[in-house]
Amino acid sequence: MRRLALLLTALLLAVPAAQAEAPRPMVWGDSLAATLDPHAIFDVPSQFILLNAYDGLYRYQGNPPRLEPWLATGTTTSEDGLTWEFTLRDGVKFHDGTVMTAEDVVYSFRRLLAMNRAPAAAFSPVLKAENVTAPAPNKVRFVLSQPYAPFLSAMPLVAIVNSKLVQANTVNDDWGATWLAAHDAGSGAYMVDPDTYRARTSLDFNRFRDHFLGWSHNRNPFDQVRARPILETSTRVLALQRGEIDASDSYLPTDQVERVERNNRTRVQKDESMRVFIIRMNNRKPPFDNLDARLCFAHAFNYEGFNNIILRGFVIRNAGPNPNSLWGNPPDLAPYAFDLAKAKEHCDRARAAGAPLNREIEIHLQTELEQTTQAAQMFQADLRRLGINLKIVPNTWANITASTSRPETTPDSWIHWVSAYFIDPENWIGQMYDSRFHGTWKASSWYRNPRVDELLTRARTSLDQAEREKLYQEATRLVVADSPDIWVYNTVNLRGVSRRVQGWNFSPVGSGGELRTLWAQQ
Amino acid sequence: MARYVLRRVLLALPALFGLVLLTFVLTRVIPGDPAAALAGDSATPAQIAEIRVKYGLDRPILEQALVHIRQVLTGDFGRSIFSGRPVTEEIAQRLPATLELTFAALFLATVIGIPLGLVAALNHNGPVDQLVRLLSVGGLAIASFWLALMLQLVFAMDLDILPLRGRVDVDLGLPPTVTGLATIDSLLAGRFDQFRDAIWHLVLPAVTLCLPGLASIARFTRSGMLEALQKDFVLYARAAGYGSFRLYTIYVLRNAVTATVTQIGLLFGALISGAVAVEAIYDWPGLGTYAVQAIVTADYKALLAVTLVVGVVYAVVNVLVDLAQALIDPRVAEDVR
Repeated sequence: MRRLALLLTALLLAVPAAQAEAPRPMVWGDSLAATLDPHAIFDVPSQFILLNAYDGLYRYQGNPPRLEPWLATGTTTSEDGLTWEFTLRDGVKFHDGTVMTAEDVVYSFRRLLAMNRAPAAAFSPVLKAENVTAPAPNKVRFVLSQPYAPFLSAMPLVAIVNSKLVQANTVNDDWGATWLAAHDAGSGAYMVDPDTYRARTSLDFNRFRDHFLGWSHNRNPFDQVRARPILETSTRVLALQRGEIDASDSYLPTDQVERVERNNRTRVQKDESMRVFIIRMNNRKPPFDNLDARLCFAHAFNYEGFNNIILRGFVIRNAGPNPNSLWGNPPDLAPYAFDLAKAKEHCDRARAAGAPLNREIEIHLQTELEQTTQAAQMFQADLRRLGINLKIVPNTWANITASTSRPETTPDSWIHWVSAYFIDPENWIGQMYDSRFHGTWKASSWYRNPRVDELLTRARTSLDQAEREKLYQEATRLVVADSPDIWVYNTVNLRGVSRRVQGWNFSPVGSGGELRTLWAQQ
Repeated sequence: MARYVLRRVLLALPALFGLVLLTFVLTRVIPGDPAAALAGDSATPAQIAEIRVKYGLDRPILEQALVHIRQVLTGDFGRSIFSGRPVTEEIAQRLPATLELTFAALFLATVIGIPLGLVAALNHNGPVDQLVRLLSVGGLAIASFWLALMLQLVFAMDLDILPLRGRVDVDLGLPPTVTGLATIDSLLAGRFDQFRDAIWHLVLPAVTLCLPGLASIARFTRSGMLEALQKDFVLYARAAGYGSFRLYTIYVLRNAVTATVTQIGLLFGALISGAVAVEAIYDWPGLGTYAVQAIVTADYKALLAVTLVVGVVYAVVNVLVDLAQALIDPRVAEDVR
């Protein structure tokens, strides 16, 4: 018996462990950012690069999102909230094998602030480049010019770059911007293959085996991920059904959901996100400088019809500016309801007060985003019943946001979403309704309420979470009562995916574009 | 002949200069703030103002125009204000894809359109003529995005015999770049699998794109043939006993296609600038989709460069058409003299 056992053991040892076949590369069909430079741009597509080619000091994980130490092991804050000190992990390697030091973090923040592009917006008002220092090889210190509570929440926006590599590729003091637009200098779980990169057209990612988190969490990761964005929705869906791509974008039209679910090789990954659909009103221009006119419009939008019929219930009604799932919302906040009788009452009152509701009122929409057209057309039909002429103006994001720098050029009304850039009410109510942000697209309703300004300023600077929560709740109540805009829904991300891809790790920041956890089903 | 060609080339230069000026003015008067687009989401007004200064967008329009002309003359289109990469480099990646698609569509339109027009003229008012007329009207009337979707559904999804989208198979990839044309480069690399794949990917987009051109080439050839068939030399040739095939395909056709050749030149321009819908639906990484992205993102530098490149290609093709006409009918060059 013993001899037999030994023989079996010998046989087992003699046969090499069956090698798992490397999975076929995953093909990613979502949009690519215009540039690979993580400090030059900040939009939803750029987060795909940020989350996969780079790491930050902190990162959002899960849904609802948790802020977790990433390249940092933790942070300490001074009592006055001005000094923040981060301790770094040991042994983090960049893609070229260089070990990350505090100098790389200092360089990354100085580069971010010097370039002063969109990702710097959360930091530049409170942080000067010279106030980012490295007191020790594994410590980074930030000294803010004033307390700023969302500082840590905004930390995942910043990619840490390999300073030596970027400096070696710097030309004419450009902070390596030309080179980094088409290469990577990160430590993320995947490495950019610069030879395959064609702006907005193709990009290959190769797995970085020395990623600091290792790969023990993933039993069959993709060694290669090929990003091949497809511009046209119908082609994207067909390509997914045919198995040419493994993931569509995360805004799958609701009328395609059933079609994707029916296909035996595809399904729809549904995740509640933090992306609020909003119809803006220019509160500085008549008629929307009149509260009754705004309330009239708030009651004239058919929320039920839009959310549950046009969008087939794949969204969640949102009562105020912050996503429902975020902290800082009053628990009893009631959304406005579609009620044409009530809308008429408000309209009559507004007309009596001289609000020019008889003039043509423009609503600007983003032509390439079908939902904005659907919402505008439905709104137009209902407002017509109240004798209001809503004129639909097709436009583009670039044009509209450029026009929102002044109240006179801001459209009467326009439609957009506010995505999750960082998880703090500051990203929504803070930047949308504090008058200090007037001139930015986020504050394009030109709302001003001194009490709200005061509450939001205090919430921004307080380090007491319980106090912040109360302040945001009060501010939200006031804002919703003033009805400066129409908040329609919070998005459910709908991404068509191949059934062979598993391990989706959705977080609202980045729209579930993190590849590290994805694995191939054999 | 040399004088004729020189004259044509010289005539194209002021047109191109006019194009440079016109496109600059147009892209600067249309709404949209490139600085705001470049600053991106969440940018503050101060950041936008800083970018405006950095890119010279705060300078007087005349000064900006002079800078632009100087850059164009030195072959420098600047950097895309959106991606930060040299526009010349981005266009160099995109232009060959559009040229390849346009050439393929034009080839199909010509090799099918001319014989169709010829056959229709020879069966004047007969059933074949009626059929060709029906095809011509249909070809001009069918919306390319609808046709593209139908072809995708039938040939890629249902029959599964042609690729749905893209320029090459993701696994095979593109051959090393020499000309940028996947078909030529794959042959140069000796990669016949890539060549076959590139041709395969070209079929549906080229068929979709060629249809309106094919219809108009067939119509022009038909009317040219009908006119030429009335000429005395045809009567003489018939009397002299020339065979029908030789008479129609060599002598009559040569007299009939002058207008068709002009049409082909115009079509080339129309195809290269009008391939946007076809490129978008077939996910063809060409100049059309690049231009659309430039419009949406208010990337005026990219837009200026695209317009100019299309203009140059158009001007070159027009010179070539003039040359072809002079070769087919030497009287054209004689007239100029």
